[in-house]
Amino acid sequence: MSEQAQTALAVKGLSVAYGNVIAVHDATFTVAEGDACAITGPNGNGKSSILMGVTGMVRRRGAVEIFGAPAKNGDVGWAARHGLTLVPERRQLYPDLTAQDNILLGCYTWTRSIGKARTSAPFGRAVDLFPEIKPHLKQAAGTLSGGQQQMVAIARGLAANPKILAVDEPCLGLAEAVAKRVYDALARIHEEGTTLIVVEEAPRRALTLCNRRVEVRNGMAGAA
Amino acid sequence: MKLGNLIIAGIITGSIYAMFAVCVSVWYRVSNILNLAVGDFAMVGALGVDNLYRVKGLPIPVAIITTLVVVAVFAYAYDLVVLRIAQDQRRMEGIVVTFFFTFALSFFIDGVAKMLFGTDVHAAPGLWNGPSLSLGTLHFERAGLLVIACAVIIGGAFWVYIKFTLGGKALEASGENVVGARIVGIDTRRYRRWIFIGTALIAAIFGIVESPITGFTYLSGATISLTGFIAAAYGGFRKPGRALVAGLFIGVLEALLGGYVSAEYGDTVLYAILAALVLAWPRGLGFESAVSG
Repeated sequence: MSEQAQTALAVKGLSVAYGNVIAVHDATFTVAEGDACAITGPNGNGKSSILMGVTGMVRRRGAVEIFGAPAKNGDVGWAARHGLTLVPERRQLYPDLTAQDNILLGCYTWTRSIGKARTSAPFGRAVDLFPEIKPHLKQAAGTLSGGQQQMVAIARGLAANPKILAVDEPCLGLAEAVAKRVYDALARIHEEGTTLIVVEEAPRRALTLCNRRVEVRNGMAGAA
Repeated sequence: MKLGNLIIAGIITGSIYAMFAVCVSVWYRVSNILNLAVGDFAMVGALGVDNLYRVKGLPIPVAIITTLVVVAVFAYAYDLVVLRIAQDQRRMEGIVVTFFFTFALSFFIDGVAKMLFGTDVHAAPGLWNGPSLSLGTLHFERAGLLVIACAVIIGGAFWVYIKFTLGGKALEASGENVVGARIVGIDTRRYRRWIFIGTALIAAIFGIVESPITGFTYLSGATISLTGFIAAAYGGFRKPGRALVAGLFIGVLEALLGGYVSAEYGDTVLYAILAALVLAWPRGLGFESAVSG
């Protein structure tokens, strides 16, 4: 297998700007298949913007390749269709839909059939990962606790059947016990073969799980 | 049996209100834009079919299909040119996008309709003609039954789509959280476009089946939009199911007030009651979420 085929994500010269404010400048890094990579750095330095740029959620400059395929700029579904799914900061759930429907919509990346989605292995795996949310599957997502919402957001990401799961600040605002539970789940996802990218402000927690780190300072990214 | 016949008349009127309210709230849910032109599409449906049939001499099915195609193409073009630039490229937010572009559209359609159809009252030809049907002392106008049938079929199809398909859930997700929807690959702009076209077509169909009962002028659209808007507000603009019930409730209440209180002042009393309900129970009726979004 060539080195190119083993690279899950290649980012070269990535820049993201919001109007005149440059959030990310010329970020270059790679993530190999099977890696657990932490993107760390202080708040407001562009960590989340890197993921938003990589997944096409915001306009970007520079090149992004997922498993060797060059990503289209401006196509928000492209990254998810090619195996990279984002679990965004502040979860971005659909608060009036049930927890089950939130997770089910993760399957939208690969099917339009609700029957296929409900009986699929990715949906089953996503629901099984967090037994504690099973009693709440019929509950509106907006009424769940912060920890339960984070679990639903990760489960939605898994239902997309990703090869790379990018999780942005998974423990933001969570109690320590819940944060540990979330990290245990991420470790299991990684053990089962999914490449993991975790954005964290504090590197200590991220490095309990990740085998490499990209440090972001003032919008510039580099291996640490 | 006066009460029974009033309730039947109220359900017919309420079905019309309900469908316009559903059109307003479904599209608001997807786009965060209030469609103040929904009634104008109904007016175009009614007067367009009338014009093509009565003036141009086309057969009724051809007149209906031609009108619906024109409505669909126009709605597509409006989304592609105006809404895409306003909401997607310029990234405008707030009241300008929420109201302005469909308000302007309403005036534009009215102006064109005045030139094309004149200022007189017209109606599309009745699609199911004949004497009213009777069941004991109850009387059913055929045009009214057609309105109810359209409401049940279109409302039912839409309910099935939302409840039992992934596309329907994606539509709901688009309105709930645009970022969250785009993350799983939902093309929120495409949903906005197709729902805009779909609701414009539904409005046009209701204009066609409703106009033999009420008659239309080029200015009728604003009144229809307003009633749909009020019923949709009772569902916080985001809950089509509530908007549907509110539309039916307003229709029945209007008929009962017209029959038992005063035909002349029925509407005045109706809106006083609606306002009182909102003041007494704002959260329960969805008005709090309408304000806070």
